[in-house]
Amino acid sequence: MARPRASIETDLFERGVLVRLSNVDAGYGASTVLMGVDFEARGGEVNLITGPAAAGKTTFTHLLRLALPPRSGRSVILGADVARARAREVAEVKRRIGYVAENPVFIEQWSTFDNVAMPLRMLGQKPREYSDDVRELVDFVGLGGAAELPVEKLSGAERRRAAIARALAAKPNLILADDPTAGMSPADGRRIVRLLSEMRRVGAGVVIASQDDTLSDVAPMWVWRIDRGRLSAPEQTEAADAEAYE
Amino acid sequence: MRGGLLGIERALFWTLAFAAFAAAAAGLAARAVDRVAVGYEQERNAYAIVRVLAPDGPAGIAAAQTALTSAPHVTSAAPMTAGRAAALLSEASGEQIDPANVPDLRLIEVELAAASPQADISGDIVAALAAGGVTAEVIEAPDTSSGGGLAPRVRNFAFWGAILFAGMMAVIAWLAARGLAARRREMVTVMCDLGATRGQTAGRIADEAAVIGLYAGAVGGALAAVAGVIVLMLAIPGTTLNALTTMILPIDLVPIVAAPLGTAIAAGAGARAAAGHFHALAAKLG
Repeated sequence: MARPRASIETDLFERGVLVRLSNVDAGYGASTVLMGVDFEARGGEVNLITGPAAAGKTTFTHLLRLALPPRSGRSVILGADVARARAREVAEVKRRIGYVAENPVFIEQWSTFDNVAMPLRMLGQKPREYSDDVRELVDFVGLGGAAELPVEKLSGAERRRAAIARALAAKPNLILADDPTAGMSPADGRRIVRLLSEMRRVGAGVVIASQDDTLSDVAPMWVWRIDRGRLSAPEQTEAADAEAYE
Repeated sequence: MRGGLLGIERALFWTLAFAAFAAAAAGLAARAVDRVAVGYEQERNAYAIVRVLAPDGPAGIAAAQTALTSAPHVTSAAPMTAGRAAALLSEASGEQIDPANVPDLRLIEVELAAASPQADISGDIVAALAAGGVTAEVIEAPDTSSGGGLAPRVRNFAFWGAILFAGMMAVIAWLAARGLAARRREMVTVMCDLGATRGQTAGRIADEAAVIGLYAGAVGGALAAVAGVIVLMLAIPGTTLNALTTMILPIDLVPIVAAPLGTAIAAGAGARAAAGHFHALAAKLG
């Protein structure tokens, strides 16, 4: 994994701060969606961004996955100052982010296994190097029986699990999930969030955007509320279903 | 190519094969025109007429013929008979000329060996005739009329025409390959989200298009070669495949060899440009 260049940003990264947004505005075209956002995410922590529909949650995840540049303010993600980063550096940072989209995009004709292995293939690994890990990951998200099925044959919930497996495949530093429980039963949704939260144990930072604020008791996490593009100060929660979590 | 080509890939393959066939066929046609024009020019430059001015009478013609046997550039010389002159005049005027009405022209037809462009053929022949005691003038094929200068113009037209046509086919291949990139848009999006650079993403799609282009170009080139052989056998009655192998020069095969390479490059470039564009769209929202 490439290390960022020595700088203030690198220093932040080495102190475990994966993301720091300071007074960031962002939006599309003429409309500004996020205003004056201050945010910090650290390795080994889970952050839940919750708020009503159209509050800016998806835009927030786009900002964190470097698909949307900040209009103003400072955005340092995995040691890179986004406003100053070159295309190659942005690509390097993206490789260290696992992203689960609200509607994940796959190569539909490829099998679940091949789609999950895609980040590792892009890193230049050979099938014999990644085969066991990918198989284990596919089993971990509960898709062991569908590993060889083309993704186009999977249900909505299975696609989301496949997206989670793909996001975790390259052992990212930061995991982003945009509404990962949409369209799922509450029990399935909680299982998915628990699965993502597990990644904090290996030092990854997890950021989950969801309308469902009841997810905050799935694991110990920081809960940030967003409304009309403004992010409030976070509250720390403990896992209510700690038994299941442990 | 595993499992054969389906859908857009198959359509792309045959579009590229057609473009390669058309471009290679145009190239082969241009080569054929070029060779005919070169042959025509060589034949035209290999012929001259000597008009004997002195001595008068049959003795002058005989002395000139003797002198021409050892003259430089001359491979053969024969006095023009009244019958031959009447036939040439009939061909030129379109009217029947009676050999009895043709006056004594005192002309000798001369066939010439190939000479360098700097050689003064007329001067050398006149000097050789003078050394044999004959005063004469040489009438060569004119430069600017009666087909003079036509061959280079035809060769240029054929060459640039084929290049232009091949360029148009390359544009078709370029555009067709963009369809493949559009088809692979989900892969572009996935690669972009996973942190592939624009070059890596575009390169992956371009490689695929180039491989399809290579095979399609080979098929198109082979079909053009087969068509070329059929046309030659129809155009030259009695020609055998053995005779064709000696007739065809290595340079004649350039369009066939260039077809796969050109198609691969054009298809790869088209797919690369489109995939790069889609990557840019996926990489930056807002």
